[in-house]
Amino acid sequence: MWHTTDFVPAAERAYVTLMMGIVGRALVASSETDPEIRDGLAAYPEGFRIQMTVDPGGPAFTVRCLGDGRVELVADDSEPVDLRVHFKHRTHAFLVLSFQEGSARAFANNRIYVDGDVSHAIRLLRCLSRMETLILPKLVAEHAVKHYPALPLSAKVPLAARIYEHFVLNLVPGARA
Amino acid sequence: MNAAKSFYEFFCPVKVIAGHKALEHMAFELGTLQAQRPLIITDKGVREAGLVRHVEQALEGTAVTLAAVFDDVPADSSVETVRAAAALYRARQCDAIVAVGGGSVMDTARAANILVSEGGDDLHVYAGAHNLTRRLRPLLVIPTTSGTGSETTMVAVISDTERGVKVPFTSRVLMPDAAILDPRMTLALPPYITAMTAMDAMTHAVEAYIGLSANPLSDAYATAAIRKIAENLPRVMEHPNDANARLELAQASTLAGVAFSNSMVGVVHSLGHSLGAVCHLPHGVCMNLFLPYGLSFNASVVGERIGELLLPLVGPRFYAATPDAQRPDKVVTALHHLRDQLWQHCQLPRTLQETGKVRRDQLQRVAELTVDDGSVIYNPREVTVADALELLERAWA
Repeated sequence: MWHTTDFVPAAERAYVTLMMGIVGRALVASSETDPEIRDGLAAYPEGFRIQMTVDPGGPAFTVRCLGDGRVELVADDSEPVDLRVHFKHRTHAFLVLSFQEGSARAFANNRIYVDGDVSHAIRLLRCLSRMETLILPKLVAEHAVKHYPALPLSAKVPLAARIYEHFVLNLVPGARA
Repeated sequence: MNAAKSFYEFFCPVKVIAGHKALEHMAFELGTLQAQRPLIITDKGVREAGLVRHVEQALEGTAVTLAAVFDDVPADSSVETVRAAAALYRARQCDAIVAVGGGSVMDTARAANILVSEGGDDLHVYAGAHNLTRRLRPLLVIPTTSGTGSETTMVAVISDTERGVKVPFTSRVLMPDAAILDPRMTLALPPYITAMTAMDAMTHAVEAYIGLSANPLSDAYATAAIRKIAENLPRVMEHPNDANARLELAQASTLAGVAFSNSMVGVVHSLGHSLGAVCHLPHGVCMNLFLPYGLSFNASVVGERIGELLLPLVGPRFYAATPDAQRPDKVVTALHHLRDQLWQHCQLPRTLQETGKVRRDQLQRVAELTVDDGSVIYNPREVTVADALELLERAWA
């Protein structure tokens, strides 16, 4: 017999898996297009690996820093990472990735913990907040970030459009060659 | 009215033994932990001040034999120091550690306890968050300042001088079995250090109360700490030999330690960590410099919470006579007044200029470090580099 209690965890798992993939790719696209995010990520040395994961066993994404503020997704996660940000449980990841709880609030609620230098994690979360501010509608982004900055539509839309453009182009192998 | 807290965690398994003749409880506590040969870990300043002698005297004639004293802890503890302490522990066949000192001594004791409990000499294996799971050897801590609150935290930070990095360790098993607060250990503390460390404790409590992780349990500890410091710090400044007031400050420090280790701290600490790193100022001095400005900065987001602090700071009569809307400003005024008192007593700097150690061209670097500090995420208001720079300018003169 089918129960909603069976459906909810499965849907949550599917949503979190999908969103982790989107966040990883959006971070790559943002690092290629937004100067503020690129400045933030430029502080990580070349080759620095960052992983965001959901305990236990994923989903996860790993990016490698190129040293100039850009990052690239890494398919092979067998190499050691320099900074790993964990969600303690899939439901905690769901709260954040469905924008019901901001990342700072999740951090304060101990739903997220860090393996590595905490200041590196703070920088990453700041970049993710900036990304959410740009790519999400204001009504949604206000739930996701601690403070929604004064960002006029005339500035936000072109930046968001470029991130979406790079996001799509990165999905197509060779599209930007 | 405050909304109900939607989620929180609170953890403090440290037994607190506080009061006059508290040191004499040490032998019993070690006995209950099946320990008879403790190693004391301390620093040379604490030993030369005669404070280790109080501990030795408290153990005389008991079933506990003091096996050795390691007094070579520097201000910023290192992996080499930890290894040397662990080697002495093993050579003298110790079975417990008693840390007598401040934050660096306690960090050394925690890290040495990792090595003597887990075996080996490689601390790095256990670095990071929650990589220790087994119970460690018995550890008692005896603070000799009233400020850090280290006696109730689960963190140790040790410098790896070879690699030029600070290595953090976080685990619940790093928490001591007991903290012993005895006024004899802080009675001879000079006024300047007393004031500086007490303002560190005050900042722990205030930031724990207004931060994102504040919760009903940490609130209780934070407000109790603020009340004790507000009442007893001026008293100790006037009468340094007042043992009861000294004990109250020691308890306030521990209360604030419990509060902030569960609720964390905010922008005042972020600024302080960064200023300390760039200009090498003591942490407590930095806290005194930034506390009122940090509160003003956060007032637009948590004004009501800040206003509530007027009660423990100045007492019920003034609190009741102050309209709600004015309370946040009055809290800031009360802290400015306290800082002025401390300046008169011991010249604890109130501005960056008064420190004589900060240049204006360093402020930009301090501001940049501030927004990457681990505490800043717990601050209720988002902090940008421009915000940090503005706060530094306010604290300039």
